[in-house]
Amino acid sequence: MLGKKAYWILSIIFIGIIAIALSFYMYNKPHINIQKTEAAYRLSAQELIGEFKNDELEANTKFSDQLLVVEGQIHEISTLKGNKVLALKPANSASSVICHMLPEESEKVLQLKEGQTITIKGVCTGYLLDVIMVRCMLVQ
Amino acid sequence: MRGFYFIIIYLWMLNGLTAQGKYLTKEGYVSFFSHAIVEDIKADNNQVLSIVDTQTGEIVVQLLMRSFMFEKALMQEHFNESYVESYKYPKATFSGVIKNIDGLDDLNLETEIVGTLALHGREKEISTKVAIRKKGDLLILSGDFSVEVADFDIKIPAIVENNIAKTIKVSFDLHHKPYP
Repeated sequence: MLGKKAYWILSIIFIGIIAIALSFYMYNKPHINIQKTEAAYRLSAQELIGEFKNDELEANTKFSDQLLVVEGQIHEISTLKGNKVLALKPANSASSVICHMLPEESEKVLQLKEGQTITIKGVCTGYLLDVIMVRCMLVQ
Repeated sequence: MRGFYFIIIYLWMLNGLTAQGKYLTKEGYVSFFSHAIVEDIKADNNQVLSIVDTQTGEIVVQLLMRSFMFEKALMQEHFNESYVESYKYPKATFSGVIKNIDGLDDLNLETEIVGTLALHGREKEISTKVAIRKKGDLLILSGDFSVEVADFDIKIPAIVENNIAKTIKVSFDLHHKPYP
């Protein structure tokens, strides 16, 4: 039988290992998994732009850093540093929802055409002259 | 208030009688780098908005703090929630003037930008060297400068003091296109 002292030492070592493992896990916590995570809001590009134009402060609190599913018509397809960028622009609007696509989406984006209506899922970072979305992927 | 000020400048630039000399990008690049004892931290932002008027030399740069992408999710979280408080101050804005913009015809110009950087609810005068190039119809501005974390009232807890530098290096590379 182990003495009382040994139990204490073992418990402390055990707790220590758990603490180190936990902090290591936290430190290396992965970025949000776009595909597997449920979106906080589903709306059209027009609605999203409208909310930011109407009350930017409130829209920021509501949408920024949130995973959104947005539907809209492709106005422009471009490439930035090898990654695709889709601008979803409603009719009669000066602003777009600019979607910076994940690298693995590039091939799928090649099949798309301007004028097509699509649905994307990604993280909203806020509003400059347009609503900005990053880490975006196409939703079927 | 700053957003309003910015929109006014923006509209004024768009409505200028001559569109000539106006350049814009919505995909500018700004990164920052922190070198500390424990670790190096880098974050990239590829969604920077920048407008330049080559007739007057005026420049306005605006970015979303949440558009800074970090390698580690936890760093990004701490940056937005604890340090720059993005929910309260979602944007950073620089407005200033490019000196000696008349010399731009040389295609390559090393000059200085002087202006105000607004970040985390604080403002600070900044002057930095900038390299300006014309490539085709692109107007490219690039350079780097240093900012003191303390100047912007960004509080770093003592426990991570050795993880984050007190002086942060900011680099920029802005490829403007003629507007419209």
